[in-house]
Parts: sequence; C-alpha cells; structure tokens
Amino acid sequence: MGDGQLEQLQRFVVDAIRGGPSPVESSHVKESARGMTPAERVEVYREQFVLRHLKNLADDYPTLAWAIGGAGAFAALGTEYLGAHPPRTWDLQRLGADMPRFVQSHAKWDSSARAYDAARLDWAFMEIFDAPDAPPFDTSVLASTPEDRWPEARIELLPALRLVAMQSPLHEVRDAVRGGKEPAEPPQAEARVVVWRDRACFLRHVAIDAGAFDLLTRLRAGDPLGPACEAAARAAGEDAARFGERVGAWFAQWTANAWIARVRV
Amino acid sequence: MGWRQRSAIPDLGVGVGFRTPHVTHVLTQRPAMEWFEIISENYFAEGGIQRANLERLKSAYKVVPHGVSLSIGGTDALDAGYLARLRDLVQRLDAPWCSDHLCFTGWGGVDVHDLLPMPMTRESLAHVVERVKRVQGTIERPFALENASSYLEWRGSTMAEHEFLAEVAERADCGILLDVNNVYVSAHNHGFDARAYVDAIPADRVAQIHVAGHTDKGAYLLDTHSAHVRDEVWDLYRRALRRVGPTSTLVEWDEEIPAWDVLAAEAERTRAVRAEALGGAAAARKEGEWVTAS
Repeated sequence: MGDGQLEQLQRFVVDAIRGGPSPVESSHVKESARGMTPAERVEVYREQFVLRHLKNLADDYPTLAWAIGGAGAFAALGTEYLGAHPPRTWDLQRLGADMPRFVQSHAKWDSSARAYDAARLDWAFMEIFDAPDAPPFDTSVLASTPEDRWPEARIELLPALRLVAMQSPLHEVRDAVRGGKEPAEPPQAEARVVVWRDRACFLRHVAIDAGAFDLLTRLRAGDPLGPACEAAARAAGEDAARFGERVGAWFAQWTANAWIARVRV
Repeated sequence: MGWRQRSAIPDLGVGVGFRTPHVTHVLTQRPAMEWFEIISENYFAEGGIQRANLERLKSAYKVVPHGVSLSIGGTDALDAGYLARLRDLVQRLDAPWCSDHLCFTGWGGVDVHDLLPMPMTRESLAHVVERVKRVQGTIERPFALENASSYLEWRGSTMAEHEFLAEVAERADCGILLDVNNVYVSAHNHGFDARAYVDAIPADRVAQIHVAGHTDKGAYLLDTHSAHVRDEVWDLYRRALRRVGPTSTLVEWDEEIPAWDVLAAEAERTRAVRAEALGGAAAARKEGEWVTAS
C-alpha cells in the first residue's frame, strides 16, 4: 500500500457503507478467517449504518412517523432521507436537520402538508433540547423602564424556544404517540404552539392565541415592541387599545414561563 | 519515568458508563461507584439537560470523557470546532485524561458514526501519529487511543494492530485504552491470538481498561455492549491486569441497559476479578495515586 492509498480506502469503505461495494472494490478487503467474503464483511458496517441512523431518526420524529402512516412508511422515508442527506456532522442530534425541507419537497411524503407540519414540530423539540442556556431574566427591568421607552424596547426570547404554526393540532398527536397511546385524528383547525425548554430542562409546549403568536414572531424577528404590537393588532383586526390590554396579560404569562431572556431599551 | 507517571494518570478503580436509564438514580441517590465515563459528544452542547446533569455528576464523582467521533485516522481535516468543544469539556471536568478510538468515522464530509478500522500501514501510522500530537496539543490533557472492535481487515495492512497501536502510542507519546472485549471480538473475527495481543501492549501506556459484553452473530462477534462480560474476556482482563498493574477499569453496557443493581453487580464482579488478578494489597486503590507498571 503506497502513499495516498489511505484516503482511497477510506473513500471506498464509506461509499460502500452508504451504497454497497462493487466486487472489484471489495478486493481491498480480506476474506475472514471464518469464511465471510469481503462483501459480507462490509455489509456488517452497512447494516449498522442503516439501523443506527433509522433508529435515531425514528426517535427524533415520532409525530412525522404517525403522519405518514407508521413505522414501515417511516423506515422507507428515513432510507430515502439518508441517501439524500447523509450524516455530515459528529452530532447525531443534527441528523434530521434537513427532514422538514426534505418532506416538503417530496410530494409523496407530504400529500396533505400534514407531514411537513409534523416534521417542523418534531424538529422544534430537537432544537430546544440542547439550545444554549440563558441567564434568568432580570424582572427589575420591567419596573425600572420608563413607560415612554417601552415602544422602542426589543424583547429577546429564550434561545430554547420555538414557534410552530400548524394546520392542525399535531402537538396533541405527539403527546399521544410519546405516551404510547393511539392518537385521535386531529381536527382541521389551525394551531399555534410554543415549544420551549423550561428552567428545570423539561421540554414543554402550549398552544397560544393567534395574536400572541403573531406578536412573539415579530419580537423574535427583532421588531421593537411598539411597532410589533401595532402590526400584530392590525393583523388581528383589533383596536390598538384593546390589543394593548391583551399584551399586558400575555407578558405576565411569558415572564412566568421564562420565555423572555432579555429586554433591551 | 514512564508515561503514566509523567502524565499523572491515576488509578480510579472500577467505574461504569453514565447512561440515560440511570441518570435519576445516580444523581439523586448517589450510589457507591468509583468513577463514571461519559460519551464526550453527548456533553458538547451549550445548554440543556445533558449539561445540567453533568454538572451534578461531577460534583459527586470523578468523570472521564470518552469520545466516539474524533476520527483520529480520518483523512478529512480534524474538526477545529469539535476539538474546541472537547478541550472545553476536559477542562470543565478537570479530567485526568480523555480517550477516543483508533479508527476513522467517515470520509468526504460524511460521518457514518461507526468505528472503521484503519489499514495497518506505515502511511496510516504516520498520519495517526501526526493527528494525535495535534489533538494533545489542543486539549492539553493526556489522550488515550482505544483499540476498536472490527469486522473487516484490509489486504494492504503490513502490521498487526497491536504493533500499530504500540508504535502510535510511542511516537505520539499518548496512552492506550485497552478494551479487552474488543481484543476478544476482533481476535475471533480475524483469527489472531488475543492473549498475544494483550501481551504485546506496552504496559506503561495503558491509561484505562474497558470490559464489556458482546453478541455472537454466528459468522462473527458483534461488539454490542449488551450483555454480561464473557468468561473468556474476564480471562483477558486478568492477563492484562497482571501486566499493567492497577488500572482504571470501566464496565461498558450501552444496549439493553439493565437496572442499576445489575450494572453495579457487574462492576462489583470487576472489582473481585481485579483483586484476584492483582492480589489483595496490590489491588488497593487510593485516589490520585500514581501507578507504576511492573
């Protein structure tokens, strides 16, 4: 074996694990002392590659698996996904990062758009699992900020928080699947869900009002509080004063849930 | 002065892997256990339950990180981000050493998340030595390479694995994590003498020993960490201990993980085997004590 052959062999075996070796390429591998052919020996690794990553994806995407018809269909989806998006990082938590877009772009997996919603919901839980921690919110800023400065305040949300809008309440399906129950067919009713990791590191979710969801979305995008409220009120078709009253109640809930990481004035 | 003494490698006694089914029990009940090994990559994140649990674990036990994704033999560039996270982890833990496997885990940016065997050649050897030096220079802690179980051999190999591993350790000035179950599994699969392998490992380079169970797949043995340690592996463990002296030993059990009491009993059996192999006085362990191989 001469210079440069190391990379050639590594390319060979990785390609073989992903797709199966050709007989000629298998000549790099010895037959085993126990009679296994080179192809059979490579197959040990290929089989583990498939099993390991399909199990990983199935653990990460319980709602998606339900949405497309169960474990058998998910194994087929996962196999296609691994072919199109082989793992490119040491971090197995990120293996399924491209799944929502993959499902969305393949009509056979997302004929009702429900699979895409399910994939985004499941991925939100994956992202918050190990998102950066945030220091506790200093609530004294609420009392110390002059009232006339609030419209320009920028509200930073918890890094471990995601906003997921869906065409049906698939978070209820996820709860059932993860609880080992058969989920009821969800109604065709839009659902807006906040998924977050609480201070005790539990992964939680709650459905919220459309106006609150819209406001959180604008704040997350970096809009100052005043313009964000005005835009959300217009979108909801509500009077600004009445919307403002609701914002006060929402803020109380958001701070209680520790969704607010920081207020910049 | 040998590598272990120069590198201040302590004998931590017998430990087990810190795994999800036992987290609550370990963190709330703090059962007797001399040390824990963690999978390094599971604790690289900047937040979340894993990081929080690790803080609690290290407040009560000695913790040593063991990686599976460094790809020390890979021809893709070493991942600077990965190394920065590893460096941060070993510093947070104040780990006496850290380890990973003699293998590569991918090529061309694809990570297959498996421990693929290196061709045992001079080219490979020079490549691994260079990369181990870079890793040790980055993490600034002793680093040990583990012999991985393997299911294929390369036709072009010109050295035995134990020769390769010993020469890497010598030239890169690193340690060895001797996994006696992996020696047994690979010896069975490839038809070499497991005892000769253990006898050829440079004793003073052994920072740690792994014991584990495996699965007989008929045509080959698979390193599953899913069962009790087999008698043949205990025999290799005894043989290794008699050569290397008191050495931190870790019971691996990663699939079909049993109740804590079963795992703790396997650790207790490991202590008994260790005491028997070393003799009562020699098996005594003191925290931070340097060990010198006989």
